[in-house]
Amino acid sequence: MAKLFVDTDKYGYQSDFPIVEAYNAAVKDLVRERFAQSGQDWKDFVFGTEYETITKADMEAIEARLLAYGYRFEPSAMSSPRERPEAYKDSGLYAEDFSFEHPEAPTAPADADGRELRGCGDNVVTHRENLVGTARYVRTTDKVLECLTQGVADDTIAIVDDSGGTLTAPVLEKFHGVLCAGGTTRSHLAILTREYNIPCFMNVRLAGIKDGDRIEVEVSARGKTAEDYEQGRDASARVWRLSRTDAG
Amino acid sequence: MSDIKLTYAQLLETNNLIQQNADETYWLCATRTVQESKIFPVSAYILFSYLNCFYRYPSLLKKIEEAMPAEEIGDRARQSGIKIVAWTIPCFYLLGREMLINWGVIKPTDAVHDVMYVMDFWKRFQLSWHRNNGNITNRQADHRGQIYAEQKLQVFHADAFECREGDELHTAAQAFMATIAQYGFLVSCESRLTIHNHGPYKIADNREMLVREFRELAEYDYPWLDGVGRDIPYNNLTVTMIIEDCHINLLDDWGSFESEPELRAEHIKAVGLYSADNLSEGHVPVGMGSREELTETFNDLTERIKVATTRLWEEMAGWTRDQQLDAGALVYFGVGKEFAHIAGVYDEEDWMRIDERAERFRPLLNDEYGNLFLGELVGYISCPSQRMHEYTMMMHTGQPRRALSYFPYSMLNDGDYTESVGGMRPGVTNLPAKNDRYRTSQGVLTQEEYNRRSREFVPRSCQEPFRFLCADWVKYHYDTPLADELFGFEQANSRLLKGKGAGLSRADVEALRNKD
Repeated sequence: MAKLFVDTDKYGYQSDFPIVEAYNAAVKDLVRERFAQSGQDWKDFVFGTEYETITKADMEAIEARLLAYGYRFEPSAMSSPRERPEAYKDSGLYAEDFSFEHPEAPTAPADADGRELRGCGDNVVTHRENLVGTARYVRTTDKVLECLTQGVADDTIAIVDDSGGTLTAPVLEKFHGVLCAGGTTRSHLAILTREYNIPCFMNVRLAGIKDGDRIEVEVSARGKTAEDYEQGRDASARVWRLSRTDAG
Repeated sequence: MSDIKLTYAQLLETNNLIQQNADETYWLCATRTVQESKIFPVSAYILFSYLNCFYRYPSLLKKIEEAMPAEEIGDRARQSGIKIVAWTIPCFYLLGREMLINWGVIKPTDAVHDVMYVMDFWKRFQLSWHRNNGNITNRQADHRGQIYAEQKLQVFHADAFECREGDELHTAAQAFMATIAQYGFLVSCESRLTIHNHGPYKIADNREMLVREFRELAEYDYPWLDGVGRDIPYNNLTVTMIIEDCHINLLDDWGSFESEPELRAEHIKAVGLYSADNLSEGHVPVGMGSREELTETFNDLTERIKVATTRLWEEMAGWTRDQQLDAGALVYFGVGKEFAHIAGVYDEEDWMRIDERAERFRPLLNDEYGNLFLGELVGYISCPSQRMHEYTMMMHTGQPRRALSYFPYSMLNDGDYTESVGGMRPGVTNLPAKNDRYRTSQGVLTQEEYNRRSREFVPRSCQEPFRFLCADWVKYHYDTPLADELFGFEQANSRLLKGKGAGLSRADVEALRNKD
């Protein structure tokens, strides 16, 4: 087996993540093998023979070996598990009666006004009054399509787990408010809700809020700033459940 | 084209340019948060784009420079704006190199001439783009992007219409900016490459101007805007936004900004709207004849963009993962294609394809590996190639790491290096074929016709003797007919400044606004 330039590294260790290490090590093994087989100097191999002898089929074989061990990838795009359910874990996006159950979500019994504390999040922009509306989970393109074709009720507070600006693109401006389980107040979704002047919490931690519940969101709280993030300051604002609706 | 030789001095400079980008890579990626999308495999396509950049940029930038030098492209960009290229061109390219080093596919001593050339091209473009402030990046200016010349800024200042929260113009402008930002993220497959801000520019003691450029909105290079973008009458739109009692305290090399206090609708006190491309004489007013016309224009464009957003979303939601991967990678890789348009050498085969040398790695790019490898490369800076000796303290984190590998100087002793990845190779795409329609300020053109006009057209301010009449020349010659002529190019379409010449101060401009 040939030795690669990067095989001697005084300061380099393994990658932090096992799958990264596994993949990168597999590609290096492949290069060692093909370089040795070529019998060439590195100068003739790299950008020359290497293009012909390290192929897409080799990369497919690397993946196949990992999958053969029973490994399944964590999905992020919906298309990935949809097209290759044998290679990806279930995304869980289509689970019935879904609700976020974040262990770190703060909870408390109903206060004097009947509000049960059910979570918190990072407020994007301070508004004059808290927001009250109906919680609706919007986690898939199918759900967005449903919003497009059937409309969005006026008081809908969308609960999403995608901090990007593409999933909800055609319906975002119709929402009364947004609770996002990811990202920060600098994420694309946060930028867009700020532009649309839609109240929004990012990085929410929720427990026990189901589709159709009436909720109150403390958007009158201070917005979480870049400085808060950089200095690790907790500036969480609260989410309360007002009543439970079985309508779903 | 610069004639680069491998010398000690050259390597010192190249390594410095690499390090400047390395420091900013970490800061930008750590402070701007992660990108994610349920539609797009974002991290995977970003990695894919890095590889495409590594294999194709050297050839494509050389092809561009055979028609026009990088510093002249910078002059043109300063006239009509350009997409974010400051960080993207070198870092996408260098991160592709870093991936391949960590795979053992290349050594840090490979493709030396390519890397020196790409960095040198970037340096010359950036110095020209930043000519009016003397820096190479926004970072070097403590995160400020003052790009445009006084003559353009005076027109933006003079012609902006006052507005107040709740009035018709303010409401229309706000709705437009939200809608176009939303559309921009979709067009660019979740990235912010459609949206580019620069400034701030000082308007008064308590007022600043932010220039917000939205680029590539209509039928142009992206196959996915064929049809979808047909009813959008401008490919690029620029909103000038004057804000009060709000200071833009950071504008980075990704074109995003932060302010103190946080920018809110109530801070926006005046707006304007323009369009510009490489075939226009700078920024041409759009709907700027009156406040009412501008309000109607914003509302009309908002409606058109909403329709396009829904159509595009429906199309993208039905794409295969390979199509998503291609589109996202080509958006990132394609940040350099505006250079090719300016030089008149754009070829769809060059810029809208995944090179076969990058394509072979596609099977590696599943969602999980994509997220984690990208995270190591630009967030944790934890790849083996990025780790340094224990005495090292990296900027921002103090960790013994660096984001991008240098060239070892030992190459000068042993000659153990290679020069280049070689010329162009065929590319592939899973996207639909592109229609031969390109929306420009001179109408919808074919690729061939667009290139022909780009090669022939030179904005007057870039012609002799005006090209080198900079702010320092104006400072000492503002009272000459030549200075009036120079300012006249920008003032030609101005509502308030037409024919006013070069002698106005900012207060004079404000006085003219108050009379309007």
